[in-house]
Amino acid sequence: MTAQLVAPKERKVAQKRIALTGNHAVALAVKMARVEVIAAYPITPQTPVVERLAEYVNNGELDAEYIPVESEHSAMSAVIGASAMGARTFTETSSQGLYHMYENLPIAVGLRLPVVMGMAVRTISAPINVWGDYSDVMAMRELGWIIYVTQSAQEAFDTVIQAYRVAEDSRVHLPAVVAYDGFWTSHVLQPLDVPEDEEEVVRYAPITRSWVKLDVDNPAQLGAVGTPEWYWEIRWQAVEALRTSLKVIQEADEEYGKVFGRSYGILTPYRLEDAELAIVAYGSIFGIVKKVVDRLRREGVRSGALKLRVLRPWPGDMIKKLLEHVDKVAVIDRAINHGGPLYGPMAVEIAATIQKPVYNVLATIGMRAIDSDMIYDAAVKIHRGLWAPNTPYTVGLRGYE
Amino acid sequence: MRVETVWLGRGGQGIVTATYIVANASIIDGFYAIANPEFGAERRGAPVKAFLTISKEPIEDQEPVKTPDVVVVFDDKLIDSMRFAIDAVKPGGYVIINTGKSPEEAKKLVGRDDVYLVVLDAIDIARRHVKLDVPNGPLAGAFSKVMGFPTLESIKQAFETQLGKAVEQNFAATKEAYEKAVVIPPARVDASAKPKGIISTTSAFLTGPYEIVGWREVNKAGAVFPGTSLLYTTGGWRIDKPVIDHSKCIMCRKCWLYCPDDAIVEAWREVEGPRGRRFRMKAIDFDYQYCKGCGVCAEVCPTGAIQMVREL
Ligand code: SF4
Ligand code: SF4
Repeated sequence: MTAQLVAPKERKVAQKRIALTGNHAVALAVKMARVEVIAAYPITPQTPVVERLAEYVNNGELDAEYIPVESEHSAMSAVIGASAMGARTFTETSSQGLYHMYENLPIAVGLRLPVVMGMAVRTISAPINVWGDYSDVMAMRELGWIIYVTQSAQEAFDTVIQAYRVAEDSRVHLPAVVAYDGFWTSHVLQPLDVPEDEEEVVRYAPITRSWVKLDVDNPAQLGAVGTPEWYWEIRWQAVEALRTSLKVIQEADEEYGKVFGRSYGILTPYRLEDAELAIVAYGSIFGIVKKVVDRLRREGVRSGALKLRVLRPWPGDMIKKLLEHVDKVAVIDRAINHGGPLYGPMAVEIAATIQKPVYNVLATIGMRAIDSDMIYDAAVKIHRGLWAPNTPYTVGLRGYE
Repeated sequence: MRVETVWLGRGGQGIVTATYIVANASIIDGFYAIANPEFGAERRGAPVKAFLTISKEPIEDQEPVKTPDVVVVFDDKLIDSMRFAIDAVKPGGYVIINTGKSPEEAKKLVGRDDVYLVVLDAIDIARRHVKLDVPNGPLAGAFSKVMGFPTLESIKQAFETQLGKAVEQNFAATKEAYEKAVVIPPARVDASAKPKGIISTTSAFLTGPYEIVGWREVNKAGAVFPGTSLLYTTGGWRIDKPVIDHSKCIMCRKCWLYCPDDAIVEAWREVEGPRGRRFRMKAIDFDYQYCKGCGVCAEVCPTGAIQMVREL
């Protein structure tokens, strides 16, 4: 039912089980992908990623340029520059760091550079809060980046590798971000399977260098002025490439499953076939959402769940197909859409996609803890008709009903 | 009543200011007006367009002007590259043109006999009054003369608000242009005829023969591959041209070093020696295709061998 686990015997590649935090799993994936240029500035909760990568470079395990920049703005600038030279690049950020890079984020898209970025998600200031919610990555949705949201250290590891393959595919050539929960994934030690032979990773995701780059044998100017006669057409290519990337993302995931034995799909449905109530969620909380679904089922409520893994490109048709028969769709949003039509960004997008009202639940803001009982209570209220659709509800906010 | 106008000129000639002044003066006179310049990379000498619409009624529709009633041309060398705008003038409309040429020659240059042609040497007027190559005041004066608005008094007030300086000088230039502009009426006007073309809205910055292609064909990522500036002749941007007196030139090549357009070349020149023998010697020459008349060469020449002279 969950596309998560494929029997080990189907794996082509020998793997070993190790224990790593989400951050270190991402760093390991980056190393195995044989990244050539890393530029990053540490910010909680992603710091261990860039520290580990600095160690890899320093001790010779990874033959890469490590550029210790003075800010995230420079980090993004540096990877854009390196990518424009044809290098496989990586950077990582969180929260205010992302906002500091913001100016450069659309440039990677317009220049069609396959930069891959990790993101240990964190909420935004003020007040200062270094803890996890999805406010940062949600602010990237309009820019043209491919956006993955992952559930676990294993999924973050696998997705970083897939992201290189997708971003550098000649049908795509777009930057990609791989997000995972700040602390709940970034700092949680989990078991994970990694290929014994690291070369398998590059074999799966070879550096294509097929994108438009600076090349002395074929000189070109990148980032020139795009007057009103040209800008829209050039930008539209990126729009179309992002749309096309959905197919490539799926292919890359299926191929990854064949080689490494794990694939995730664009979306992960759980017990949705005959569901009357569905809970849509993303990130690490999907595990407890599934637990709630099982509990509701035991109590006779036909419930199901849907995990969003790819937010951009938006898999609208797939979502529609998976949810069209469901009466009540609840979306647990982990970021606030201040003053929006619904108070959570994914609730807005799901409602627009299925074209019916959704139940909008905000949770984990500023990493306010959530447990399966809280989600269960919310689901029961929705099921019994105590909560209305199109109204913001919160789980864990004091003094608000 | 609604008058739609297009003003064509070069960066640095005050095209935008001209439309602001005429719009401002028209508003003082009780009209409604909007001046919307076309914004681009502000480069001195590069072709620039500005639009100005004046109406008795409030103007809410900022539609691009496609078939103007009036075209004001700040530089007769622009006529060829911006012919599409001249062609777009409605029959019976006006072409107001700054040129040092005679009205007859100017008429030939414009090549239309179904519009009013208004000819004046705005550069000459501006140089005498304002000591600058900004023909905008004089062209505003010519506009006022043929259209009957805005009044000279309002133009003066507009100078005060728009420029805030050199008001008297600019106004003197405007007045002189008002008096001197030569108006050639059309030979025939078929008011029902359509203009020969329109000013295309996608050609905002296009002044050359660019190929317009769809999004699939445009270079990926907007990459620009090597081209050549050989086809980009900037010689038309000139008002003055450098002229050399070879007898003063000591071949120090300072002019060659400083010319921003690589427009100074070394050429062979035949000279007659003291005993009547003819021989060849190196000499400085100008490639007028690319010389944009900045005057840097004349400025740096240590012997004063180069003079800048008005080119009509
Ligand atoms: S700077 Fe004057 S003297 Fe020197 S080469 Fe040029 S024209 Fe001749
Ligand atoms: S005026 Fe002189 S310096 Fe300027 S472009 Fe012409 S030749 Fe060159």
